[in-house]
Amino acid sequence: MSDSRESLTKVEISFTVNGERKTVRAHPMERLLDILRQQFQLTGTKEGCGEGECGSCAVLMDGILVNSCLVPVLQAAGSNVVTIEGLAAGETLHVLQEAFLECGGAQCGICTPGMILAAVHLLNGTPNPTLEEIREGLSGNLCRCTGYSQIVEAVERAVHPRTTA
Amino acid sequence: MRSNPADYEMIAPGSLYAIVSLLAKEPGVWVPIAGGTDVMVQYAAGKLPARKLVSIWNLPELRRIEVTAEEIRIGAGCTYTDLRRHEIVGSEFPLLRSAARWTGGVANQNRGTIGGNIVNASPAADSLPALLVYDSELILVSIRGERRLPYATFHTGYKKTLLATDELLQAVCLPRRFSGYFSHARKVGARNAQAISKVCIAALGHLGHGVVEDVRIALGSVAPVPLRLTETEKIVRGKAIDSELLLLARNAVADKIQSIDDIRSTARYRAAVAGNLVAEFLNRLSSEQPGAERGDGVLARWNGSSVDEATQAILPCCGSKAWAQGMVARRPLADESALVATSNETWHSLTQSDWMQAFQSHPRIGESRPSSEEPQSPPAQSVEWSAQEQRDLADAEVAVKLALADANREYERRFNRIFIVCATGKSVPEILEILRRRLKNDAETELHEAGEQQRQITELRLRKWLQG
Repeated sequence: MSDSRESLTKVEISFTVNGERKTVRAHPMERLLDILRQQFQLTGTKEGCGEGECGSCAVLMDGILVNSCLVPVLQAAGSNVVTIEGLAAGETLHVLQEAFLECGGAQCGICTPGMILAAVHLLNGTPNPTLEEIREGLSGNLCRCTGYSQIVEAVERAVHPRTTA
Repeated sequence: MRSNPADYEMIAPGSLYAIVSLLAKEPGVWVPIAGGTDVMVQYAAGKLPARKLVSIWNLPELRRIEVTAEEIRIGAGCTYTDLRRHEIVGSEFPLLRSAARWTGGVANQNRGTIGGNIVNASPAADSLPALLVYDSELILVSIRGERRLPYATFHTGYKKTLLATDELLQAVCLPRRFSGYFSHARKVGARNAQAISKVCIAALGHLGHGVVEDVRIALGSVAPVPLRLTETEKIVRGKAIDSELLLLARNAVADKIQSIDDIRSTARYRAAVAGNLVAEFLNRLSSEQPGAERGDGVLARWNGSSVDEATQAILPCCGSKAWAQGMVARRPLADESALVATSNETWHSLTQSDWMQAFQSHPRIGESRPSSEEPQSPPAQSVEWSAQEQRDLADAEVAVKLALADANREYERRFNRIFIVCATGKSVPEILEILRRRLKNDAETELHEAGEQQRQITELRLRKWLQG
């Protein structure tokens, strides 16, 4: 019974994820977050609050930071999505991932992928941010472990790898 | 309970014409969804009554900002990020820019739209009071054509609007005639980003011949709809701003607002804060030049001066040399809020001995000379400010002064330094009570309390300093 209803409302949606072209059959209101985690097994993107308050599920969609729990997958059609899995080049970590490791910017790890993508988004628009700009750029991402200092420090480290070493 | 996606239909027709045609064909059936920052939250909670959604996200017809000589027309699909980046919004509509900055974090600003904020009609939306004071108008579109109406009439009750079931909000238009006004926005919430306001204010005003020539004040979160305070404005208009007027204005605010008790705050708290916000706006208006950011000149000169000059210039605000040097090292500072934020950060990064140096630059409360035995006396400006801060103490009764002197001595014996309190606005009996309470603190608690008081003193002095 539910099968026929399910297939009735499902549509075919194509978009690019971490450089790879993907096509899924999904209900248009399915959350981008669930498609990434369940259909593509990209479980780096985390669900925290599920209502856009915590930033754990943040990904880049056409270069802009979005909370994937608030994106119905139909609205991702044709877009270019980047998740935490798309940042490293093979075995070489992204400079922000390295900086988070060095500075202890991750503890339990739930907020980390969203936090790093928020930082990537910030540095794409503002390559040399002030402390205040870093704080503002990360203000939509909540962390319950670190107290934020190490995270902010990690972003500073990524910006000035030598001077703050 | 989470919703089942199989229960929902969504289409993305991709043009405004196709969307209004759909709304006309089945009025009230299709609910528009833009960036989902509101609709998807209802959906997640299993509280989205609509079953058919039509995506208007990123529709080119709704995502334009057009500027003419008379007005700026903002497409309903423009995001908060779009607003923050727009030059004219920044230069002529600072209240809207502030609201855009305060709405959500970056990810929600990238997806949340001004049209969504208006149509969802939350009384707590940060941008709505700004739209009220700027005399905005809305353009609603349907297959029947366009209509234009004043935004002030749009909200008819809690989450109720004049939008017809076949209509879509197309744009909001702001007349370009307020750029000379002094503007003031403030949000009171648990934190700035991501937190929904307990109370917010957007206000415009300008002075002429020593009186308020025009004033426009709106509040969010104090009534079922965003509230323009027309009666308070009437009371204030044409008058000089003094303490009597502030009292009248506060009473008018209290009479007018029907505050809301909810999870974020209580009605009583909101009513009190609303009065304070209006009084704060009027106080600032009375001391500011229309259109000019406060202290721009002072700050620009300070940003450009030599390290030694800049250190000497800012030292009267807080007597710690390490603090002054830290502030100078962090130049240039953009504005008053950056100055205060940097000061707070610097203060909290200092050592205990730096704190002691700042404490010692103050006179003992109730006395006029600084407590330090060092030959180097504090700057003359610091001594003058101390006198202003302790103004009420000068007139106090002898008996109270003696009691204060005794308590001071006891404090110094116990903690080995002078008692620091931000005395501005406090009466002598209040200060005595605070001092007696703090005598019961343990050493560490008291150090932090003194540090916080010094931080407040510094903040007030920085604001005075900017006024030149």
